Amino acid sequence: MNACARILALVLFLGTFGPPVQAQGQSAALDVAGLAALLGQRRETQARFVEERFVAGLDQPLRASGTLSFVPPSRFVRQTLLPRPELLAIDGNQVTMQRGGRTRTMTLDSVPEATALLEALRGALTGDLASLQRHYVVRVDGNAVRWRLSLSPRAERIGTQVQRLEIEGQGAELRSVELQLAGGDRSTMSIEPLVANLPGAAPAARK
Amino acid sequence: MTPARRHGAVVLALWAVALLLALVAILRVPFVADMSAFLPAKPDARQQLLIEQLQSGAAARTLLVGIAGGDSAQRAAASKTLAAALRGSGRFEQVQNGETAGFAAIGQWLFENRYALSPAVSADRFTAAGLADGIADTLSLLGTPAGAAIKPLLERDPTGETLRIGESLLPAAGPRSADGVWMSRPERGRGERALLLAITRAAGADLDGQAAALATLREAFAALPEAGVLTLELSGAPLFSVESRARIETEAHRLGAFAAVLVSLLLWWVLRSWSGLAVALLPVASGVLVGIAAVALGFGSVHGLTLGFGATLIGEAVDYAIYYLIQARRHARDAPHERGWQRWLRTSWPTVRLGLLTSLAGFAALVFSGFPGLAQLGVFSCAGLLGAALTTRHVLPVLRPDGVAVSERAARPRQRLGRLAARLFASLPTWRRAIVALGIVAAAGLVWQHDRLWRADLLSLSPIDAETLKLDAELRAELMPGEGGLLVVVQGPDLETVLQRAEAADARLQGLVDAGQLAGVSSVTRWLPSQAQQDQRRNGLPEAVALRTALAAATAGGPLPASRLQPFVDEVQAARTRPPLTREVLAASPAATLVDALLLERPGGGLAALMPVQPIAHTAQALARVEASLAGLEGAVLLDIKPELDRLYQRYLDEAKAQTLMGATAVLVLVMLWLRSWRRLLAVCQPLVLAVLFTLAGLALAQVALGILHLVGLLLVVAVGSNYALFFDMLHHDRTNAGIAGPADAEEANDTLASLALANLTTVASFGLIAMSEIPALSAIGRVVAPGALLALLLAAAFAGRPAATPLSR
Repeated sequence: MNACARILALVLFLGTFGPPVQAQGQSAALDVAGLAALLGQRRETQARFVEERFVAGLDQPLRASGTLSFVPPSRFVRQTLLPRPELLAIDGNQVTMQRGGRTRTMTLDSVPEATALLEALRGALTGDLASLQRHYVVRVDGNAVRWRLSLSPRAERIGTQVQRLEIEGQGAELRSVELQLAGGDRSTMSIEPLVANLPGAAPAARK
Repeated sequence: MTPARRHGAVVLALWAVALLLALVAILRVPFVADMSAFLPAKPDARQQLLIEQLQSGAAARTLLVGIAGGDSAQRAAASKTLAAALRGSGRFEQVQNGETAGFAAIGQWLFENRYALSPAVSADRFTAAGLADGIADTLSLLGTPAGAAIKPLLERDPTGETLRIGESLLPAAGPRSADGVWMSRPERGRGERALLLAITRAAGADLDGQAAALATLREAFAALPEAGVLTLELSGAPLFSVESRARIETEAHRLGAFAAVLVSLLLWWVLRSWSGLAVALLPVASGVLVGIAAVALGFGSVHGLTLGFGATLIGEAVDYAIYYLIQARRHARDAPHERGWQRWLRTSWPTVRLGLLTSLAGFAALVFSGFPGLAQLGVFSCAGLLGAALTTRHVLPVLRPDGVAVSERAARPRQRLGRLAARLFASLPTWRRAIVALGIVAAAGLVWQHDRLWRADLLSLSPIDAETLKLDAELRAELMPGEGGLLVVVQGPDLETVLQRAEAADARLQGLVDAGQLAGVSSVTRWLPSQAQQDQRRNGLPEAVALRTALAAATAGGPLPASRLQPFVDEVQAARTRPPLTREVLAASPAATLVDALLLERPGGGLAALMPVQPIAHTAQALARVEASLAGLEGAVLLDIKPELDRLYQRYLDEAKAQTLMGATAVLVLVMLWLRSWRRLLAVCQPLVLAVLFTLAGLALAQVALGILHLVGLLLVVAVGSNYALFFDMLHHDRTNAGIAGPADAEEANDTLASLALANLTTVASFGLIAMSEIPALSAIGRVVAPGALLALLLAAAFAGRPAATPLSR
């Protein structure tokens, strides 16, 4: 059923946030184009994540941790290790989910809300901020060393769930993703790169 | 009244009665146009399942709809309005366009019945560990965008059974969704289209009902405010059946009318007599009537294509009338008291009769075909030819005892035709060696290429044109991605058995899905579990006290306190006494149509559950895995529809080849029995074999994918061509035996040649028309017979001993 598909997909998308790379040592104020250029140097990346979700009505925050990987242009994998193993892999339009020994596949574009969220991630990961601006109002603060990308959804359908998305980074790396949900629930994810693979950025980093 | 006149009156009366009876038989029988006539009458078990699925499965009632043009917002709006109109029309069982509003009711129903439906429900699920597991699953979704949908249910369904059901119903691949409706995936060189799926209430075989549903759809689309800028694209089995029927009917009428006019013109040119023309058409008309009536009586229904072949029969049956009208005439010197018809019966009828017998032998082979479509064609042709020949033999002598009038002026065109033919035919034998050499080359080429010749498939029998098929493939790929026509069918004598067997098959297939070897599988048991399964789940539900104890242990120290979960305890208690789900309960639920699409009543009793399987890649290896996983399960069969259809067609083709060979052998034996001379047999067969070879070679050179109907066409070439060859043989034999060539004989030979040339012209003309038909099945036959018949005549002339007749000089 489509409705169910939607729920599931959304759910699992939540932390697909990809990984980080090396910084460029620049301290001038950053604009959208500057950040796009910075992020555009990204290559295949691996990272560890720790996620905390604050849900109204629950006694404690919900914690999860695992690894993330991104292979441009469109392969994302979020492997949750704790509290329970889970896998979410997106390859182009193909989504594969594994939980509790069960595997399900589905098509990404059958769920437009998920598509929009994923576009945000892909935009942030590849520096394709133009496509990001299709779904979100984009704001960039800070400089090339430390920056913050704030996204407010344009489309009503995403807006009903996601209120705001804030991505912070250092250089070409993503360091944290904060998601503010409409009901007041919130999640934060901090990201720590495992592999740095950005040959183009190396000279700048050394400076 | 003289005895002769009385005899004539009796003959006419009998003929009239026969035609009247034929007409009655025809008027009482339904005309059909679906593909069922081209599915085997005595299928094996697997084919039976395939046919049932094709005829009565949801696929036979599913329309695929595309809305193209305009902008995205216009398409989305049109999709929503159209879907609402169709849902309101009552003609559709299910209309889906990607709008999720309609699923709220189904979602609610699933939620209410979650303890009967969730695959996770068992006694283990309600132990402390099981509960902790379920709660952890649910919590993993909270605080995510999807959590908003789950959060309101948390206290009633903390273990996430609703989610588990949703997960089990999740399609492995679905259409793209945009602007709230299904839209095609962007692809270069193709405009975007909104997509809808509409399942008609009318059964697959109810063509009138299907036509009404189609009309409703078209009207609803035309009434859209955006209709001006948008285009409606339609496809699917109901459209194919309805359009096939309409197309076959109009084509059959059109071709019949054209052929009749063309043949009439030719006949009039030669006969120069309106009454003669009317008489000439009688055998054809009688033959067509008798042929259809015979099919009606033998099969209980007449396929539209058979009707289309009525046009083809004109080409051959009119020959008899031509032979009679031109050849039947008084011979003043030999037998002054003999009427023309008596002389014709003595001199020409044996040859015509032999030609008829050889044609019958050829077509009789088709009568025994295991495929009603071919059998109908065989019966139609045999009965039609017989009817036409009998009319010629018995009725024409009464109406025209001396053929057509032979006034000096009227005879001129015929004589001219005869002279022309004689001159042409006389020149041909000098080419014999070259022709034989070319024949050998053609034969060698055909042998060399034989694997690539017969590559048409079942679709070539369908009257649907290539463009519509392309649209169908596009819409199908968008609306049902991943559904490569792979289906596990589980049969059983009653519902409970079928459901239990389907659950067993589902468990095995789900194993493949979890192992990543299969993308997905659907099963009716996700909506309607067997009673055994439901009992087992219900028995797993604990009493309130036990549940509370387990819950306390499961939630200790976790973020979700047990104190909040009293509604959960209450609902589990309620589920323990909830009445079981039955087919009747489901029929009244919002999920009714979804269940109907996956469960099939079998015509012979019993039921079948249809389980569409989505492979990750449609490879032999993947199929073998599915096949292996079903090992040992009773009543479960894997159907791979496309190759299964190909196999069906291959069987069909092989059978037709064998029958054609049998028919050809029967023709040979008949000719041999009659002629009793190897030399004459060779003279008769040589041109036929060469005509077939050249026709085949020509088609091969033109890159035509040969199929079953080309084979039928070749049979017709042999049937028609044998007449020519026999006449040439007769002419040659008479000359050799009599050893005379007086002016009267020359004139008679000339008439025979004129009749042959005219018969050939009408055949080529009528089949030439058929060759231009828009219906592939008909045009295939036309493209074989038109050139084939011409070749047969020319080759018969080329190999007829010596030049057959000297031109008559005046």
